[in-house]
Amino acid sequence: MNNCTDCKFYLPVDVFKGMCKLSKQDILPDDPFCGKAEKIAKCKFCSKYTAEKDFLGKCMSATLAYPDMIAAKCVDFEWISQN
Amino acid sequence: MSNTGENPADFLDCPAESINYYGNKPSPQVEDREKGRKPTPRANQARELYFSAKSSTSMEFPYWYTRRWEELDGEIPVIRRAESLKAGFEHLTPVIYPGELLTMGKASYLRSSYPMPWLSEAFFMASEDKLYKEALESGKLTADTFTTVGKGGGNVTKSVGKVISIAGKFGLRLEEMPVMLEVAKKWKDRSVDDIGHKYEQMVPGYKEKEAIMRSVICMFDSGYTLPQGREVMNYYYPLQYGIDGIIRICEEGINEVAGYPEMDRLYFYKAVIIMLRGIKSWIRNYAEEARFLASVEKEEKQKAEYLEMAGMLEHISSDPPRNFHEALQMLWTFHVGVLNEDAISGLSPGRVGQVLFPFWKRDMDRGIIDRAKSIELLECMRIKFTEIDCFASMGVVGGVLSGNTFNNLALGGLTKDGISAANELEMLILETGISCETPQPTLSVLYDEKLPEEFLLKGIECTKAGAGYPAWVSNQVAMEFLLNNYGHEGMQLEEARAWAIGGCLESSPGSWMPLNLDGEIHWIPGGSAPATSVGVHFISLPKVLETVIFDGVDMRTGERIFPSHGYKLETYDELWQGFMDYFSRAVHVLTLTNNIQHDAWRKISPSLVNSMLKPDCLEKGRDLGQMGARFNTTFNIESCGNTTLVNSLASLKKNIYDDKNFSLEDYRKAILDNFGYHTAQETGSYSLVDQKPAEHFSEYRKIHRQSLDAPKFGNDDPYVDAIFKQWEDWFCEMTHNYRSLYDQPMYACQISVSTHGPMGAVTLASPDGRLSGTTFSDGSVSAYPGTDKHGPYALFNSAACWNHSQSQNSQLNMKIHPSVVRGREGSRKFLELIRSYMRKGGFHVQFNIVDSRMLKQAQADPDKFRSLLVRVAGFTQYWVELGKQIQDEVIARTEYEEL
Repeated sequence: MNNCTDCKFYLPVDVFKGMCKLSKQDILPDDPFCGKAEKIAKCKFCSKYTAEKDFLGKCMSATLAYPDMIAAKCVDFEWISQN
Repeated sequence: MSNTGENPADFLDCPAESINYYGNKPSPQVEDREKGRKPTPRANQARELYFSAKSSTSMEFPYWYTRRWEELDGEIPVIRRAESLKAGFEHLTPVIYPGELLTMGKASYLRSSYPMPWLSEAFFMASEDKLYKEALESGKLTADTFTTVGKGGGNVTKSVGKVISIAGKFGLRLEEMPVMLEVAKKWKDRSVDDIGHKYEQMVPGYKEKEAIMRSVICMFDSGYTLPQGREVMNYYYPLQYGIDGIIRICEEGINEVAGYPEMDRLYFYKAVIIMLRGIKSWIRNYAEEARFLASVEKEEKQKAEYLEMAGMLEHISSDPPRNFHEALQMLWTFHVGVLNEDAISGLSPGRVGQVLFPFWKRDMDRGIIDRAKSIELLECMRIKFTEIDCFASMGVVGGVLSGNTFNNLALGGLTKDGISAANELEMLILETGISCETPQPTLSVLYDEKLPEEFLLKGIECTKAGAGYPAWVSNQVAMEFLLNNYGHEGMQLEEARAWAIGGCLESSPGSWMPLNLDGEIHWIPGGSAPATSVGVHFISLPKVLETVIFDGVDMRTGERIFPSHGYKLETYDELWQGFMDYFSRAVHVLTLTNNIQHDAWRKISPSLVNSMLKPDCLEKGRDLGQMGARFNTTFNIESCGNTTLVNSLASLKKNIYDDKNFSLEDYRKAILDNFGYHTAQETGSYSLVDQKPAEHFSEYRKIHRQSLDAPKFGNDDPYVDAIFKQWEDWFCEMTHNYRSLYDQPMYACQISVSTHGPMGAVTLASPDGRLSGTTFSDGSVSAYPGTDKHGPYALFNSAACWNHSQSQNSQLNMKIHPSVVRGREGSRKFLELIRSYMRKGGFHVQFNIVDSRMLKQAQADPDKFRSLLVRVAGFTQYWVELGKQIQDEVIARTEYEEL
């Protein structure tokens, strides 16, 4: 299940909390997606990412990567097909 | 002092509330400071958000940096470094908070920082990791063990839920922990720390260095912990040329040097271009985010501000700023840009009010900006600087920095042609220092007799507000030091006037740069040297004396640190000689190992952002590590515990050698038995006045009494002041015998920052009567708490008993009750007090204007005092973010009830 840190409207304040860019309300990173949520590009949503073990994986089968890294500025990012 | 009975509190002259007073005791009611003004609603909102935010770290930048580094194996090192920095910058996720007028930060949290494993990777590994254990064994992490970190405010002191605490301060999301460890391991045997360590072991006597670190005679290695900082930024090139203009300068440089000898210039120019393209992307990513936020924003005013921000960022990503707001954003962007290339403390913005004055004045004249808008922007600047965190080990971030990063903004001083440089914008900077109290940037007035009274009184008003700034530093003393230190590199009087404070209190050279606005040249000051405080950091003077007394052995651990000195210590001269011998041994080996670490730094992790900014790197085609800067005599030797050392020497001289009251053996026994008291670690308090006696304390009553009664520095007493002068004259001179990596003589630096806490914690009782584990005297010419009993002018006479221009600095901290300086008359009296010290030749004085009882209340109930600021030693910090060692020491400082 996706949570607020997976959303492009999540504005992190610190490791404990953030705020919603739409509502300006305080939210927690692990709060579940609301109806307005939209996924932000992250390695775990990329077709070139392969999960290996908890919180670690590979990018293009070669390079160390981790699932929760924001990949919005990664030139190789490609949404996995079901997204 | 008088012995009043068996009660140890009485014995230590400890008043009921454990506070040292000079003059009459204050009225029963705890008094607040004179009420300052409130920040603008915008700044207040930002500050409230700051108060709610915890220090947070993330892996985005280090991940991309490391990934690119690995891809470029075999490339020219400086190009590899530039590509790695570029990858880091261009992948940082932008975060813009509602209401911000200035934006951009180190990473994607409000109080962001991140590990830089290319510098050092061991300290944030798990304690069971081999890397961590090796670091512990070599003494690199001993200071961490004896450091207390503030338990409140923004510190993440323990792991909670999905957040991991690192170094007792930084929070990391659990999902980023595995990648942090994996990335760190990639730097094993490749980081500056590891490479430096590999080669420093070749220095003859290296094992002695490790023993010195384990005993915490020295606090930390600067080469891989904080390789840059304690220097003044120079914003001239981006303000004058813009990023594209600098790229063009580099392209021209390439055309001139490609294929010719000294080929490193080619790579440097190319590296700067690569790095700048990363910074351009970083700025443009923020612009894109601002446009995105505008697209989803419903509130019209906020939407317009986002769009204005986007336009501003798009413009400065290529071109020079067009107005004050853009100039301020440009300044901030490059400030963060430098912070993101290294672990840095003390990156001072310098004389911002003079650098930006031409932009501001032009906008004011054209009606583009008014006073209210100026204040709002300057308050936003205060908030942004306060957000800066530095990711470092507990010993560094807690034991040295107290969570602060020492971004010092200087005001006043003289212009290039020698008249007062104070201006209207600086008046507003002082005003916003009052209205928007935050730790950063701290302020320093470069005091000169030519400064106008109105400006000085504004500075007094700000100091009285109680945030601990501005500090007051002597322009003339600093210029004399700089001319002595940099004269051989070509500095003359005119250029000496461009100086500012780097870090908390490091006199740093500057240069005048010709800013051309609309065809008119404005000479603006900016830093023109690399870090002016790298070198031997810090040496614990009382601990060195302790090893002299015990013939080279650290009696806390039983480890031999130095070989036997061979003296019987039958005369005071022998004791002093023993001290000089051991101190010199420590400096010798630490200088050599430190040079190797910094050499590793300049080869593996050369500065590019900062190098590009500093004159004359672009002109020479060399980075800072290749002496590209105009001035390069920048390595120093730092002391800690000056007054505790001198008081101890005075006590031994008086009680053993002059009056023959006791033998040295009596002192050895008393020190080992802590004068019959429990240690500070046992009592949980680090102030002398709060210590508790053990059952046999009366065995040591006489020797402790007479140690406490021995002459104490700070009372205009020639007996002890002569010892102080002897120490200073010798120390300042001996430093010149050691050569830096750049083959320049080193110099003395005398600030304690927070090191007097952990260094005191590992030091046994000292012959002045201080008890084991308690904090040393702060600063360098501050009296030991409670021992300055003859008023401020006697303290000044003692502090100025030597020539301060021999040293990069001296540091005097005082605490004054708010009632003493209340009102206009109080302001005048206060200014005269400062003036008198400056006229005596004092270099620096800073003040806590506070009722100590309020600090006691804040210690007991920190939640009620989240915003309380205090001055420590060269910096201001939130009370709740200070470790207990420093809190106890600040409470214990003598509180002046009359001047």
